[in-house]
Amino acid sequence: MAAEQSVAARGADTASGRAPAVAAPAEVDPRAARLAVEYCYERGWSDGLPVLPATREHVERFLAHTSRPPQEVLWRMEHLGRECTVEVAAINAAMAGCLPEYFPVVLAAFEAVMRDRAARGGGWQSTSGPAPLIVVNGPIRHRLGFNCTGGIFAAGFRANATVPRALGLIMRNAFGIVPHVLDQATQGIPGRFSICFGENEEESPWEPLAVETGLPEGTSAVSATLTRTFEFVDNRHTQDPEQLLWDFADTISRTGSLIFRTASAGLVLCPEHAQLLARAGLSKAAVKDWLVQHAGRSEADLRRAGKDAVSDEGPGVRSASPSPRAPADRLSPILTGPRDVPIIVAGARNAAISMVFRVFGEWSNSSVAIEEVDA
Amino acid sequence: MTSAILDPTGGQRTAERVPLALAPRRQSLAQAKVGLLENGKQNARLFLEEVAAALRAQHGAGEALVRRKAVFTAPAPPELIDELSESCDVVVIGIGDCGSCSASAVADGILFERHGTPAAVICSEAFTVTADAMAEVQGVRGYRYLTTPHPVAGLTPEQVRQRAEAIAPAVAAMLTAARAQAA
Repeated sequence: MAAEQSVAARGADTASGRAPAVAAPAEVDPRAARLAVEYCYERGWSDGLPVLPATREHVERFLAHTSRPPQEVLWRMEHLGRECTVEVAAINAAMAGCLPEYFPVVLAAFEAVMRDRAARGGGWQSTSGPAPLIVVNGPIRHRLGFNCTGGIFAAGFRANATVPRALGLIMRNAFGIVPHVLDQATQGIPGRFSICFGENEEESPWEPLAVETGLPEGTSAVSATLTRTFEFVDNRHTQDPEQLLWDFADTISRTGSLIFRTASAGLVLCPEHAQLLARAGLSKAAVKDWLVQHAGRSEADLRRAGKDAVSDEGPGVRSASPSPRAPADRLSPILTGPRDVPIIVAGARNAAISMVFRVFGEWSNSSVAIEEVDA
Repeated sequence: MTSAILDPTGGQRTAERVPLALAPRRQSLAQAKVGLLENGKQNARLFLEEVAAALRAQHGAGEALVRRKAVFTAPAPPELIDELSESCDVVVIGIGDCGSCSASAVADGILFERHGTPAAVICSEAFTVTADAMAEVQGVRGYRYLTTPHPVAGLTPEQVRQRAEAIAPAVAAMLTAARAQAA
């Protein structure tokens, strides 16, 4: 128990006023510390921010938190001829600034995001520059200090910041997907490799995401997908659930992010919005169904944006039709189906502000249980 | 006490470097059956079909067989490579006009050459760095492919036809003995 407390204290904001659990070292050789960091920059191992140079002794502590052997291949990127072992993942997690006890979360997050087909192929190389969204459920959120409430998309929390950064370093270092070379992001998604938070299960009116996707109650788990576009919906204006849902539907229906016939979009609902909808008797499934039925754009809007024609093949790439194909007021549904509308409850219960996000590939509708090993 | 700093790359595990022996080239494209491997990107099919039409008109090439890659972000599956290699004399691949599809188009070209089928890959000029990087990852530094100005998506059918006509002589050269001499 004492160990758990110390970890939680380390994970928390120093503004809490608690005494730091790590004593300041009596002395540090600043030149050596700086040179070690600069060496990593020089080798091209950094995402732009300083990394923590990984040592054997430190990485062993990470490996002690998993039953998987160090040489086990975590993933092989077949088309690039590159692979990442458990040990290489641990080195990158250490460099990202993770604590050793975060390592099972990194492994689960990696597995979860790789359940997205786009992540298994060339998604990381895409001009879209998609960002992984990592959601943590279960008791581990509190044990490791994952922020689930105020400022989930903001900086300030070690677990939230370093777990996605570890994934980014793995992509860069283990798989060699480096910006301007194999990573061809035109602009990339703001906050790429920094979007990770716990679900606010305590203030959610619904079952946690991990339970919804099939894991037993109380399981610590990670769910993840590649995303594009996070856009806020500030609606402190109505108590009417339907008006609120229309506000979400409008943001979901942006023509700018519409590429194919339909799209997959999700919600990170703040507790207030989630509770308002639940009080009106809506389950998560009912919210998804409502959005699938109502999120749409008129033929006139699609035509104005040059996206009114739809290819008959595959997912139906949109393009500009030379002449109108349908009545101007005909409504095209935007969402693919309720399975493609992930809903997560997170953030503070202090204002009615939520976030709409666009799924880059395909939401796996699954969660990966986090292995818990007594180290 | 000091410790070594560990390498996070896994020692740059890359594919084994197998020197690429180009597939044997024909003297000309006369009567050659042309396989078109299109990746489903906007204008890709039209572009390749117009290239095939130009090869027929200018070089007497035979009929074309079009196949679409189901997943443009990844190299073509072996059964698709087999099918086009068996039924065609030469293959034209494209259009690489995005991050992952340019890289995978280059990987496809290398797969066809290793399969004994001459291939010409067409990428947009914006993606040469990633196409070159992919060739290197596949163990073939300096693999040659063709480029067309960027962008390709959004061109009108007439613009696509002009682009295809402009690149057709280079495609023909790459698929015939002229390429072997130039390489």
